[in-house]
Amino acid sequence: MQALNEMKGTARLALWTGAWTASVALATFGPRHLWDLEQPVASWAAVALNLAVGVGWIIAITRYLRVIDELQRKIMLDALAVTLGVGWVVGFAYVVADAADLVANEGTDGIAALTGLMGVVFMIAFFVGRIRYR
Amino acid sequence: MKNRITDLRADRGWTQADLAQRAGVSRQTINAIETGKFDPSLPLAFRLARLFDRKIEELFLDDQ
Repeated sequence: MQALNEMKGTARLALWTGAWTASVALATFGPRHLWDLEQPVASWAAVALNLAVGVGWIIAITRYLRVIDELQRKIMLDALAVTLGVGWVVGFAYVVADAADLVANEGTDGIAALTGLMGVVFMIAFFVGRIRYR
Repeated sequence: MKNRITDLRADRGWTQADLAQRAGVSRQTINAIETGKFDPSLPLAFRLARLFDRKIEELFLDDQ
């Protein structure tokens, strides 16, 4: 029963993660490839959809944490803590570097790189946790 | 924290997967508890004690 609930929770979380990723792609590339930049309504709708799906994703993560067993929860929370720490430290370093005019690329490149870095850090921290308690 | 779960499980002829299913946790959790890498919560410790028909202090040994 526990295993079945975990499988359902994992599948639900994977669906929400995929939906959120798709909504990010839509909000990022939609204005250039699917509709004109002169259509702000469509762009705002894509951003609103991205935010709404993001809220659903957060809820799915919290529900997933309730479904999994206590060791899996510890591994997940440890990985999330490391990810938050890296995001916080690197994010503030970026802000400080930007304030000192040390950042060459303006715009969303830095934010995109930070979210990508956080994703990689989470995956590494999660698998390290899985191996540690194997 | 040291424990006697491996011995008690072996006495009953249960695999880690069997115990995990009865306790409602993953096999990895049982393995981590048996090897002392992870200390279970009180509710899980009570569940394990009930499964082995023992008191908690007979299952888990204070190694400090």
